[in-house]
Amino acid sequence: MGYFNNIRETIRTIFEGMAITASHLVREPYTVQYPDRIDLPIQDTLPFRYRGLLDVDLEICTGCLACERACPIDCIVIEAEKNKQTKEMILRRFDIDLAKCMYCGLCSEPCPTGSIHHTPEFEGADYSLESMVRRFVKAPIPAYKPTKGPETDPEIAPLLTRGLRYLDEFASPGDSK
Amino acid sequence: MSTAGIEIGLERETPAGLETEEMTLNMGPQHPSTHGVLRFVVKADGEVMRRAIPDIGYLHRSIEKISEKVGYHGFMPYTDRVDYVSAMQCNQGWAMACEKLASIEVPRRGEYCRVIACELGRIASHLISVGTTGMDIGAFTPFTHALRERERINNLLEELCGARLTFNYMRIGGCAWDIPPGFVKRASEFVEQFEPLIDEYNELISFNKIYVERLANVAIVPAEMAIAWNLVGPNLRGSGVKYDVRKDVPYSVYPELEFDVPVGTGERGTLGDSYDRYMVRMNEMKESCRILRQALGGIPEGPVIAKVPRTFKPPPGEVYVRVEASRGDMGWFVVSDGTAFPARTHIRTGSFSAMAIIEELSKGLMIADLVAVIASLDIVAPEVDR
Amino acid sequence: MQQLADSLLQTGFLQGVPTEAGYALVIAFFAFVLLNFIMLIAGVTSWLERRVWARIQSRVGPNRVGPQGVIQWLADGIKNIMKEDIVPAEADRPLFKAAPYLAMMGFFATFAVIPFGDGLVVADLNVGVLYITAVTALVVVGILMAGWASNNKWALLGGIRSAAQIISYEIPAGIAVITVVLFTGSLSMQTIIRAQGWAPWDWFLFANPFLCIASFIFFVSALAEGNRTPFDLPEAESELVAGAFTEYSGLRNLLFFLVEWGNLYVIGALYTTMFLGGWQIPPITEQPVIQGALQFATFFAKSYFLVFVAMWIRGTLPRVRVDQLMTLCWKYLVPITFANLIGAMIWFVLFPNGLAIMRFAMFALGVAVTIYFFSRILFHLRRARPRLRLNPIS
Repeated sequence: MGYFNNIRETIRTIFEGMAITASHLVREPYTVQYPDRIDLPIQDTLPFRYRGLLDVDLEICTGCLACERACPIDCIVIEAEKNKQTKEMILRRFDIDLAKCMYCGLCSEPCPTGSIHHTPEFEGADYSLESMVRRFVKAPIPAYKPTKGPETDPEIAPLLTRGLRYLDEFASPGDSK
Repeated sequence: MSTAGIEIGLERETPAGLETEEMTLNMGPQHPSTHGVLRFVVKADGEVMRRAIPDIGYLHRSIEKISEKVGYHGFMPYTDRVDYVSAMQCNQGWAMACEKLASIEVPRRGEYCRVIACELGRIASHLISVGTTGMDIGAFTPFTHALRERERINNLLEELCGARLTFNYMRIGGCAWDIPPGFVKRASEFVEQFEPLIDEYNELISFNKIYVERLANVAIVPAEMAIAWNLVGPNLRGSGVKYDVRKDVPYSVYPELEFDVPVGTGERGTLGDSYDRYMVRMNEMKESCRILRQALGGIPEGPVIAKVPRTFKPPPGEVYVRVEASRGDMGWFVVSDGTAFPARTHIRTGSFSAMAIIEELSKGLMIADLVAVIASLDIVAPEVDR
Repeated sequence: MQQLADSLLQTGFLQGVPTEAGYALVIAFFAFVLLNFIMLIAGVTSWLERRVWARIQSRVGPNRVGPQGVIQWLADGIKNIMKEDIVPAEADRPLFKAAPYLAMMGFFATFAVIPFGDGLVVADLNVGVLYITAVTALVVVGILMAGWASNNKWALLGGIRSAAQIISYEIPAGIAVITVVLFTGSLSMQTIIRAQGWAPWDWFLFANPFLCIASFIFFVSALAEGNRTPFDLPEAESELVAGAFTEYSGLRNLLFFLVEWGNLYVIGALYTTMFLGGWQIPPITEQPVIQGALQFATFFAKSYFLVFVAMWIRGTLPRVRVDQLMTLCWKYLVPITFANLIGAMIWFVLFPNGLAIMRFAMFALGVAVTIYFFSRILFHLRRARPRLRLNPIS
């Protein structure tokens, strides 16, 4: 009896499978042709927390080196020194080697101002490893000094707002929802 | 004769009248169905294998040693790479080990976030597993259907933690990100839509006669053998042993959640064959949906992360914690010497022991069966080598 | 074709040309036309297969080259022609180089007897069906040669599998053909078609249960002979890398693929000829050209539907194992076809002119199965609640 059962079972299951695949012929495909067949750029469709290429807003960088310490693969190199007279931090170098970076997000977590953050940009292909090192400091600039009250400088204020909003996403022990 | 350091004695049998010669085939590391970079030295007589000797180490990245250099917090992204198909559970394993070392209590909301992330990760991992089983057996369609659903999970997890594969979601003491607004609704929607698709998937491929014939009664692992060879997770449960770390060594909030542990029943062949291991994964996805539904419905209020200092220095000591990863009981052994860096880390993974049993199972199977066995044991190369 | 050559010679179109050379010219002309036709068919089939497959898998498929990607196959072909033709150092060079041409020859020769219309056939051989069974066997030699000459163990395994498989499945396929021949009394393709009618209930598929079973067995065996899923063992990608074709590159690899996709059409054409009434259409016009074109279109549509079914099967089923392949052939197909043949003989003795009630009953059964099938499709669509897009290729 097993013999005829096998035949029956084979025909029944194949029939069922064929019905499922036929039903897929009228279903909408799930994939989208990359990159030009959707209305929005892909970057705009990504969630806010998306961890793409790293970016630094030097205007609000305090030079605290927290990100450099947090990075497990040392892909961030910062050189900052304190000006003896003005007691001001001067940033001489802020390099991120994107070839080494593993987009773990550990660096943006301890940043006090949200200066170093992930962008939704992900298309970072390049021809040489050298060109993947992002050098943010072109000429030595003074680091940002947090003010007591709300930020008044109209150029820095929006950056700081964005940075703090970015930091807000990270959960902190005090948070209670 | 030596092949890659493995001594192989050529045993030639020459029955009178019919001379056959055993041939040595090199399968991998670039073979299409060795799931990453595995290599097998297959000694075959025509289509029938005498032995398949696994050769590991092609994906060794010395992750355990790295932990001694990058510290407790910094090692978290590396745990994603231990088993990149289901990174969440590896995250959780490391976090739990560190929490146990420093006696940190994780907030309940954090535990719920972890459970939700882990169960989504488990479904994603099992989808890859059942999809590649189909693909290795020659049906490409189930694979794309499985990946289509996995893609939706990836979208959810991307929303949660910003990455699709190497999540780095958990931190020592909790989770790095709280559940974003609207996530619960979207995740519940996914669970509702996904469950009927499991049935559809079953009818498309799991119950297909050809598929059943390819998997049933192939590579039977009886319960005693599975225990003796240290199989864990779905591979062990496929042999009928009801062992699940979530039930037997409870951790996190799993004791509060209601779910069953599916085991192999030998429904289409013998207990412990490849089909049972495969079906256990299918059923586990349904159980994960059940867990997700409860967890998403009962997320408590509160913080998701406990207070942990940035320079994490646990007291000296050693811990061993186990989590139920997608490929079974994953053990994390961490020795602390009181400094900011672990003195020693060891990871015990499910794929490693599954890899060992292949040599035993492969005797007398066909070459086509070997790929089915690799797929049904769900071996992920990075987890073997670490 | 012979008539055409004769008439050309008589009308003086080929004046001053010796008779033999005239025949040779006509043969060469037809061969050229057919070769181009096959290239086109194989190319478009490859594109369509990828599109159908993609839609079954919730993907889009190739859609960039030309409108909806219809000339993707041309781009692929040009790419393959321009690629380096690598012969492995340890390979058996002459055999390695000759193998794809042999496979190509075996499959190309079948087109000589495929009846595209009432007069649209290169040669209506009186042993047509037998001829096809004979020449397709050349494909095995080609694949086996490729497997052996590559000097690669995976390729050899693929070649051996192919040989075992094709030779085994010749038997059920042959007997299924004999069942049809029993009812027509002729091996000629045109006679087989003329024995049927244009109406579906006049087709051999619905003539009686035995021919219906024979048709399914023939289709399964033909899939196996064409190395199609679920019998694609010779090039089983997940097991043997690319089987017998592992070491091939460039144009030679392309030829093997041409054989695969072209063979698909041959399967469809044979099935159409034997079970679906071939080019039979009701007499619509007196115009022979228009009538011929309609016949060609009918034949093409029917055979291409079969090609589509083969693609669809490929998108559904997994691959059988080599021992199961043999079990299926020798324990299931061969005994069933023999029993079926005996049953057909008894039927033929009982009702030499067929049974009209049976025809309509079988046809009604076919309609019922189709309706049930569509209800299952609706069931699956309702359960998964997907978003629909009804245009099949967009």
